[in-house]
Amino acid sequence: MCGIIGVVGETEETAAVDVLLDGLSQLEYRGYDSAGIALANTELNVHKAQGELEALESAVSRPALRGSSTGIGHTRWSTHGPPSDANAHPHTDADEQVAVVHNGIIENYQALRDELTAAGVEFASDTDTEVVPHLIASHLAAGDDPERAFRRAVDRIEGSYAIAAVFAGEDAIYGVRNESPLVLGLGDDASYLASDVPAFIDHTDRVVYLEDGEFVRLGPDGVQVTDADGTRVETTVETVDWDAADTGKSGYDHYMLKEIHEQPTALRQCLRGRVDELEGDISLESLADLEQSGPVQFVACGTSYHAALYGAALCREHGVRATASIASEYTTDRVPVDEDTLVVGVTQSGETADTLRALREASRAGGRTLAVTNTVGSSITRVCDHALYIRAGPEIGVAATKTFASQQLALTLLAASLSNTSSHREIESLRAVPDQVQTVLDTSQAKAIAEEFVNADAFFFIGRGLAYPVALEGALKFKEITYEHAEGFAAGELKHGPLALVTKDTPVFAIVTGDGKRARKTISNIKEVEARDAPVIVVTDGESEAERYADHVLEIPATDERGATVLANVQLQLVSYWVANLLGRSIDKPRNLAKSVTVE
Amino acid sequence: MTIRSAIVLAGGEGMRLRPLTRHRPKPMLPAGTKPILEHVFDQLIDAGITDLTVVVGYGRTAVQSHFGPSYRDVPIEYVVQETQLGSAHALAAATSTIDETTLVVNGDQLVDSDIIGETMKCHDSTVGATLGVISYADVTDYGGVLVDDGTVTEIVENPTDGREYRLNAGVYALEPDAVEIMTGIEPEAGEFSLVDGLSTLLEDGIPIAAAATDGMWIDATFPWDLLEVAETLFESTTVESHVADAARVHDTATVIEPVLIAPDCVVGPGAVVGPYTCLGENVTVGANAVVEHSVIDSDTRIGANATVIDCVTGRGVGIGPDSTVVGGPGDVHVGETIHRNEALGALIADRAVDEGGVTYAPGTIIGSEVSIRAGTTVDGSIDSNTEVR
Repeated sequence: MCGIIGVVGETEETAAVDVLLDGLSQLEYRGYDSAGIALANTELNVHKAQGELEALESAVSRPALRGSSTGIGHTRWSTHGPPSDANAHPHTDADEQVAVVHNGIIENYQALRDELTAAGVEFASDTDTEVVPHLIASHLAAGDDPERAFRRAVDRIEGSYAIAAVFAGEDAIYGVRNESPLVLGLGDDASYLASDVPAFIDHTDRVVYLEDGEFVRLGPDGVQVTDADGTRVETTVETVDWDAADTGKSGYDHYMLKEIHEQPTALRQCLRGRVDELEGDISLESLADLEQSGPVQFVACGTSYHAALYGAALCREHGVRATASIASEYTTDRVPVDEDTLVVGVTQSGETADTLRALREASRAGGRTLAVTNTVGSSITRVCDHALYIRAGPEIGVAATKTFASQQLALTLLAASLSNTSSHREIESLRAVPDQVQTVLDTSQAKAIAEEFVNADAFFFIGRGLAYPVALEGALKFKEITYEHAEGFAAGELKHGPLALVTKDTPVFAIVTGDGKRARKTISNIKEVEARDAPVIVVTDGESEAERYADHVLEIPATDERGATVLANVQLQLVSYWVANLLGRSIDKPRNLAKSVTVE
Repeated sequence: MTIRSAIVLAGGEGMRLRPLTRHRPKPMLPAGTKPILEHVFDQLIDAGITDLTVVVGYGRTAVQSHFGPSYRDVPIEYVVQETQLGSAHALAAATSTIDETTLVVNGDQLVDSDIIGETMKCHDSTVGATLGVISYADVTDYGGVLVDDGTVTEIVENPTDGREYRLNAGVYALEPDAVEIMTGIEPEAGEFSLVDGLSTLLEDGIPIAAAATDGMWIDATFPWDLLEVAETLFESTTVESHVADAARVHDTATVIEPVLIAPDCVVGPGAVVGPYTCLGENVTVGANAVVEHSVIDSDTRIGANATVIDCVTGRGVGIGPDSTVVGGPGDVHVGETIHRNEALGALIADRAVDEGGVTYAPGTIIGSEVSIRAGTTVDGSIDSNTEVR
């Protein structure tokens, strides 16, 4: 999965090369192993470089390339072949007649590669993508014009893809999408194509979302969208409300820290207009006509999967039959779905390929589908029958922080709405959460904890009930940005195996909230850990006697269990951030990761 | 001349505003329902500024998280002043951003756009600096400026000598080389202010112009001044009485204008809010409670049947059911000093909570995170993080 940008036409201020390079910087969240651009004149001008975008920036001279008005660019997250100059996109045929950028996976690439190799084609890279320019070139050689050659090549490939191609001597881009995102931007003097709106939002806010199987030609005369047969498709032009300026670091060292501090605002936006304390009502605009009596199945990946576990547990507490599955396993397992089933896909970007696949299959099996996402207009909202927006605002840091908190609150609202259970008291405690998060941010001692344990061997996180998914998320965040070994466990599960890993050099973070049976049982688990000399850091509201067994305490304000786990997670985010910072990690762009995973 | 870029100094705590400044600097305290700094930004943008640099320091995450990377489509650059050693030191932190005539303003005082506009209009590059000044009844607590025929002759902090001073409004148009001189001198005793810098300019014979207006200028010296700030905003129509769409006011509640009720507020049945009352975001007023002439900051909950008069609260405060803030005037105790007959019912800092049925004597100051047991009567000044039983 990767980021694509393309432009035809130029404005007075910006030449194509500037649009491409600036656009790629907005797409780096999709991958940053390597990057490249191709500009079309009578010949193609291709530049690529391994590493983050800066490497490409220093390899090209912008002024020298300002003569071209047509080009494509790409930032890569490796699927086939390691990051290298050769594997960077765009890929071309041997004669450099066509250059191609691609996001997705071509599943039959080996067969195509064997066939092309047998016909004498030499491959310059290890990528699946490279079959595309060679296929196109073979059709060009057979006498096809570029558009026909492009369509015939696309006919041969299977898998998920968003592809854009430019040809030597033609002022146009040809594009197509299938299960990978591709959006068009319509400017006054130029047309754009990209994996995501931020890539060209500086130039236009008028967009067309391409549907699966649709082709597009961007030329000096504008944009034409056609179906697989070449029939013209009527498109809907939408105006996006996206403040491009919203993506600066506003004085913070990292986007991650900025986004951690934005959580109170994000949570207010999530609740606004949806809770009414006077009536004790929760109303979710998009779900007004959704009557649910059958089972609810959550599907998601990564951090969103932890939110899904949390959401499913809340539903069950309210008496709703609910399960949560990892999206890629959900499709492999062939989980039974019928028309009484509601399948809820949770994805920040709305483009997560595994989750989209699971929802498409559930839909085909007759189930109803609901998207819980941060991104208006994303693929998931077009795949699903209903959409619930978490309203967290743009998140740039690869490690999800504020979007997890917003998912937690949105799913709390969903669980109450599906079960028709909401009370004045519940709403009162929900409305208090944004300020309680602010309290944690104002008073957290996480930095001191990070300084004390930065050199530990491994880090464990335990929790029970709603705190269990938060323990998993705490560990995932830790892995993602510190690169240190971290694991999350259900507190009661520790003694069934993982306890063997616990030593005096493995701090254990335990989430204990309230003073109920769950808290008391988790305290027993803390004692088991303590007996093995492990340092214990308790994240607690101070209601139970957990502090007595702790070496250190990370305090959170007292509230109910749902809110408390949102607050506990904020403390764990800060611990991860400060450990990663002390270790000098690349916090906003951790190695091997990308924000939006659009391949399966 | 037209000036496009402004530097706003927002790095100081404002110690006299304690205990409200525990987690945020003075510029982030509420003037009505918005931070003082937000009003400053509004006035700058209304006056034509398109390029904002903000010097932050104490409690800077409060500023950065509130405004983010831009405000009203004007990009904000944040410059960090690690230690706060006065306003010229703050300006020095931002000098790398100065390559043309720049406006410098204090982020913790309210000025109207007339003062800013007039300062810009009067300024030309024949002078090193132009200073916005206004006629003000009493300058003893502030900066006094002596002006002769539009030219500044002397600047005196807290003058007491009865000469005819104008008030330094804290709005400066500065030429880059003047900035260089003002920020280049060694501080004499720790702190180093812009006024020291301006005096140096005068000593060096560099002319400073004065731009005189009678515009609005308000400074909150003490926390209870926030009541007067809100009142002045209403009276000067800088803000208009308004109930946000995303606020929920029960049909049987009474709203007496002028009020400001921010988004997500809930006003319960039979409650009375106003006049001269500001409710920040997500404030809750319980059934039959009365809130009058008060500035209530975000996320505060006022319980059912409570009476709250002449009150300033921080964020997330809990005034319990049946509690009473009697109203001013009262004597306010700050350290060893007693401020007599201030129009303050009570000042209750961030996340202080009472259990209900509590009576606040006039002029009471409650520190942050104080908890007060049901039925208690409190007075005087109570330190942060204490329990009143």
